[in-house]
Amino acid sequence: MGMPMAHGLASGIGGIRTAGDLVAWMQMTRKMRINDAKAYVAAKLKVSPTDLSDPFVMRDVREELDIGIITAVPGCAKGIEARARIAELLGIEINCVTRLRKKMKF
Amino acid sequence: MDKEEWMRKAAQCVMDGDEDGAVELANRYLEAGLNPVEMIEEGLSEGIRKLGNLFDRGEIFLPQLIVASDAMTAAIKVLEQALPKEKKGRKLAKVVLGTIEGDLHDIGKGIVATMLRVYGFDVYDLGRDVPIAKFVEKAKEVDADVVGSSALMTSTQVGQKYLEKALREAGLREKVKTMVGGAATTEHWAKKIGADLHGEDASETVMKLKKIFG
Amino acid sequence: MRKYLTRRGDGGRIEMEADEIIRDIEQGTQDAAERGKIARLSKSDTEHLMDIFTNPNRIVGVEPGREVVLTDDIGPFRLIIDQGNSAVGISLGNVQAIQIHERGYGMDTTTFAHFDASFKAVKPVLANVLQEFENALLNTIIPIYFCCMPNLGAYYMPDGPFPNPSDLMPIGKIKEALESQEKTVERATNDMIYISEALASIGCDGVNFDTVGAAGDGDFLATLRAVEHVKKNTNLSVQVGMASEFVLGLHGGLEYSGKRLAGMYPHQQVKVVEKAGADIFGPVVNTKSTKSVPWNLARAVTFCKACSEASNIPVHPNVGMGVGGVPMFETPPPDVVCRVSKALVEIGKADGL
Repeated sequence: MGMPMAHGLASGIGGIRTAGDLVAWMQMTRKMRINDAKAYVAAKLKVSPTDLSDPFVMRDVREELDIGIITAVPGCAKGIEARARIAELLGIEINCVTRLRKKMKF
Repeated sequence: MDKEEWMRKAAQCVMDGDEDGAVELANRYLEAGLNPVEMIEEGLSEGIRKLGNLFDRGEIFLPQLIVASDAMTAAIKVLEQALPKEKKGRKLAKVVLGTIEGDLHDIGKGIVATMLRVYGFDVYDLGRDVPIAKFVEKAKEVDADVVGSSALMTSTQVGQKYLEKALREAGLREKVKTMVGGAATTEHWAKKIGADLHGEDASETVMKLKKIFG
Repeated sequence: MRKYLTRRGDGGRIEMEADEIIRDIEQGTQDAAERGKIARLSKSDTEHLMDIFTNPNRIVGVEPGREVVLTDDIGPFRLIIDQGNSAVGISLGNVQAIQIHERGYGMDTTTFAHFDASFKAVKPVLANVLQEFENALLNTIIPIYFCCMPNLGAYYMPDGPFPNPSDLMPIGKIKEALESQEKTVERATNDMIYISEALASIGCDGVNFDTVGAAGDGDFLATLRAVEHVKKNTNLSVQVGMASEFVLGLHGGLEYSGKRLAGMYPHQQVKVVEKAGADIFGPVVNTKSTKSVPWNLARAVTFCKACSEASNIPVHPNVGMGVGGVPMFETPPPDVVCRVSKALVEIGKADGL
């Protein structure tokens, strides 16, 4: 892990510790370049783009929005529950969430 | 035609992959009573060198290189008639080549084999996933000058170290030059295991072997 | 004269004076510019790169606010197994390893793959792959790619059904070699589509086509055709990561959308990948182990900057072992890895790594 950790420390946003996964979703689903993806996510979260990589800001934001936090606090969204909330927040389709929704229509 | 013009035309025939043109030029050259070795080394080989450089940069591709090599080989066959007996059909060196046991990657190794042939080496390509013993056996059988192995993965490159050992145990190590290549290998790795050479890519491999063998 | 610590392309430590560093940077960018027929780095870019290398600290990073997304092509395997690339052999299941990436390391995305990460090898064990992947999708938050290699080499004899062009060409059977590659392209495309559609059916987030072009232009063409189909017929996100800085012309005549694929460099590769519909492109620049990291990184940044400027989709340069300026060494030293990161983001205009 030494190499990816070095990259992560040097230039990574920080995953669910911050908003890295959210920015990634925008690149993956809407082909957004980095500044556009950050601007979009920042607007949805009502923070500044610089805040997106700040764990101090993002910890509270993620907990309030219940979109998954890095410490596995009981009751906080995890797994597909968090994914479903992220999909709704960002206005994107996350395939496994869509599949679950279809399956839930008995 | 002056010498420079002969050499330029020879190189161009090779670069164009023009086998008929190369053969015709070689015949006329011999009729003019000129030195066949010069045409091979300064004319035809210059064409291949230029193409090798273009191939290395991705500006020409493998089939073109092979067609060019065929043109060169055809011209050499004509020129060889005027060579002294000991220089006819002379290859620079015998190279036994293969991808090391456990490794199935052979695209890069195949390109090295092709380039070495193009540059006048006699190549025995053993393929991929080659057991160490087979390298040794073939090297003995053909009286190899070089034993080269390719490894693309860090998990299989250790086989190159075992090959060095196997060649020593077979009493061949002092007789051959060993060469390692493949994405997992470096100069540092070659030094570490006692290999003589490391080839970063096909062009570098050819250049290093030509430096040793002609 | 003061000397600065840096490394060679094989990871070995060296000391260089400022003049030597700037010379290597200039030569590295010049090499890329000549090969790719692209612009060299500007004076301010080379000065920026110089600052990165002459920074005396072991670890450097991007300026706050310039962080980017990290995607990867190995994921759990770096913990579990060695499939040829720097893994550490901890006994873990795939799902646990993915969760470690999400919660232990804070990765932005991660990857799931089969042990032999080639499409041809995955096909017979697809059900097992899908089962595990479903579990992973239910239990993780970060996006997970399925990473797989087109690896057209696996389709050639003796392991595959088609005659090996490497065997045919040396004996003058050029026509047969080209035909074999063309047939292989067709078969490989179908396999990639089959597997991708199965992944879509279980709600997979995306597919990372990895080491594309490893078996030459046929490999690239098969991938582009598969990507086109996948993007038109499924909701999968697609990342295309290359194998080399230029597309090897084993065939030489294969085209996609009217453009010959052989010989393409990253700024050209990204355009056809974009045309095929992919969402993210990962260019590769190969590290030369006998040159210095300043040389290699200047070269990588030059290629990546040109690629990013040409692209309309996010560009995530490959920065693993032996690529993107990272030394070819199993455990690349962090002092150069972080410099690679910083340079590719701040000068190379990467949208991710």
